[in-house]
Amino acid sequence: MSWITLDKINRLKEKFDFVQVNENDKGFHSVEVPKENFKQFLKFLKEDPDYQFKMFIDWTIIDHGEKADPRFQGILILFSPEYRERIIVKTWATDETLPTLTDMWAGAKWAEREAWDMFGIRFEGHENLVRMFMWETYQHHPLRKDFPIRGYEEVELPSLNEEERADQLEGLQNYSRMHTALPTMEDIEITQRKRLPKKKAQIVLNWGPLHPGTHGTIWFLFDMEGEYVQQCDIIIGQLHRGVEKLAENLNVQQIIPYTDRMDYIASINENHSVCVAAEKLLGIHEKIPEKAKYIRTMMAELSRINSHLLWLGTYALDLGALTMFLYTFREREKLMDIFEGITGARFTINYFRVGGVYADLPYGSLDAIEHFLKDFPERLKDYETLLTRNRIWLRRNIDVGIITEEDVYSYGLTGAVARASGVPYDLRMIDKYDAYGDVEFDVPVGEKGDSYDRYLVRVEEIKQSVKIVQQCIQKLRKMSKNDPFFFEPEDKKMKITIDGRGTKLFKGEVYAGTDNPRGELGVYIYMPKDGIKPYRFRLRSGAFYNLQIFPKLMIGRPIADAITILSTIDPVVGETDR
Amino acid sequence: MGIKKVGLNRTVQPQTLKEKVLFLDFMKGLRTTIKHLFRKVITVDFPFELIEPAPRFRGVHGLRNVDGTEKDDFEAWVKKLKIKPPEPGETRCIGCKFCQAACPVPEIFVIKTEKLDVPEDHPYHGLKVLSQFDMDLSKCMFCGLCTLACPTICIIHTDIYDLSTYTRNGWVLNKETLSKIADDFIARRGKEKYDDKSNWPDWQKIWDDRDTARAKAWDNNPPRLGPNYADQH
Repeated sequence: MSWITLDKINRLKEKFDFVQVNENDKGFHSVEVPKENFKQFLKFLKEDPDYQFKMFIDWTIIDHGEKADPRFQGILILFSPEYRERIIVKTWATDETLPTLTDMWAGAKWAEREAWDMFGIRFEGHENLVRMFMWETYQHHPLRKDFPIRGYEEVELPSLNEEERADQLEGLQNYSRMHTALPTMEDIEITQRKRLPKKKAQIVLNWGPLHPGTHGTIWFLFDMEGEYVQQCDIIIGQLHRGVEKLAENLNVQQIIPYTDRMDYIASINENHSVCVAAEKLLGIHEKIPEKAKYIRTMMAELSRINSHLLWLGTYALDLGALTMFLYTFREREKLMDIFEGITGARFTINYFRVGGVYADLPYGSLDAIEHFLKDFPERLKDYETLLTRNRIWLRRNIDVGIITEEDVYSYGLTGAVARASGVPYDLRMIDKYDAYGDVEFDVPVGEKGDSYDRYLVRVEEIKQSVKIVQQCIQKLRKMSKNDPFFFEPEDKKMKITIDGRGTKLFKGEVYAGTDNPRGELGVYIYMPKDGIKPYRFRLRSGAFYNLQIFPKLMIGRPIADAITILSTIDPVVGETDR
Repeated sequence: MGIKKVGLNRTVQPQTLKEKVLFLDFMKGLRTTIKHLFRKVITVDFPFELIEPAPRFRGVHGLRNVDGTEKDDFEAWVKKLKIKPPEPGETRCIGCKFCQAACPVPEIFVIKTEKLDVPEDHPYHGLKVLSQFDMDLSKCMFCGLCTLACPTICIIHTDIYDLSTYTRNGWVLNKETLSKIADDFIARRGKEKYDDKSNWPDWQKIWDDRDTARAKAWDNNPPRLGPNYADQH
């Protein structure tokens, strides 16, 4: 497991007398630093050759409830690429303020805006602390513990049924007429003005929120001088559903169907993250039955192929190659059939459980997957003949949107975007969760970090996924049909069920995640005591942090590059907005 | 395990002068598209042609009736919850509300039981029957947790996927409708999905391999299904 050792933490304590060490019996040790010394301590962590925690992972808040004083705690997760270790640094947000980290890690910019939006924490020194998901005139901070789960019902909004049948609504159809606040056109205008406070150039072009090129409901603002972008900002949140808030009121198996709706293109991988994190918190990640491990690895890789095929198709479609879209969707259809047969759903899958999977593979599934893999490499070759060395493709991709290695660390970029810039950051290699420690595969790494490298890296990832799936099939073939696919705890204190009723989490905290097609989806669970519902359930979305670099890449580029850059960053709005 | 370096000049060669002048990259691309021109149609002509969903498909719910294929502990559950012993053809639901407890959106369900109005010397005195079982499918995620929680395999997923209606009220299904849906499903495809103790058997197939519509999507060359594991037949 890639976590900082107790040894190294204790050395920190010797050096700084204000450092407080929280030991954790599962190995996830963290340090606590007072607010005044926070920046100084982080500077040391980032620059000291023995630590080198220069990669930003996540920066969020825990609300300890109204009665606690101080009430809010900042949680910073960092990664050291040199030593392949993570660390959690905590600090108390006295007076509901914290120092900004944007001068050390650019990735903190959106993280702090999100913290302000959701918790109402002010960051001193932030350049433009506006809301992240909600509109500017919204009054509340939804992730605070005193915010009710149904929200404050403030606006009257009769339903369509009432128009038809007036007051004669009964039973399940008798909805409340009051609705939570909705933004008006005025509110949206204020929001837009606040995002680009100083206009630099002549015209502000709005792209989205409902445009096929944005792959979802993202709203871009381009401040343009002629064809060239001078300033850019992104308004997201149109698809914000408050998954983190919902998760605080559910048991961990019930959260899994909600994560299906986040990155809906690779929902298996989203489920995987929650399972891996919860298993680490329970301490059972090594006791998961072998069969479940291989099934999960296999399904996660099939899902990665599925997701990359959709990305390839729509990316080529955006750049004008319509044929590719049809070709990749044909292969995707077969994968969807396989998912439907094995899991019961084509899109929102909910197959993985904390402790394994919910059912064994049905008869013939390995044959179907093998049949798919047999002619898939040939198809992949077709795609590459169409695109890889095509002169239009080369011209539109090479040297567009170059991301340097420094950017990767500073913005906390993960997934194929990071790997294309030459950073071999892959959780499958670092954490070796499930069966990834036992299968052979390579991590593709790019050179320059331009759009073309991101394309090549993702295509190579598809090939590596095929390799992993084949190895999993070989392994599964040798198993018995009576092998367990779900972990049955012997420990009386632990309760895990397939249907989720009464599944318990233990006291402690954990940060774990999986490498999804769109970057690392990390799950941070904080439990002050044993219980069913997680106290704080933070989803560190890879697509969210990857999208953050988009305004930087766009500055000085012509507007036509927006499509290329957005497609190769490949965000899914369900995951960025959560 | 290792790192594979990709990139222009690493794994991909830049275009040569010959390629540039003779437009060979376009020619190669055209050859691929022309090759694909002669393939057979793979799309399904919906709604004139329908793919049969897989046995595990999570469609509209149904409530199964007693038909002699209950689990062994069915009677014990009936006794435990003081439900009137159901006759064949009556619902298997024992009103335990496990489905509601497992559901991420518990407002979907309205489940009520009521005591039988019989004289004191009647054998069914003090026992209950299910009086209401409403499901609002407009709130449902079709995650399948309720079917896993059901101790009597009463609530099941069927293969029905078209549940659009003109009013929201059409999504609220009562216990009679749900029973009818389940009966219809079990008559059509019960043998494919359940064994004679209502468990998922290991012969349960990934999908029906004689489905011609699905075969079209697989280039008219569908996989031949065989056992997964070494000791499976």
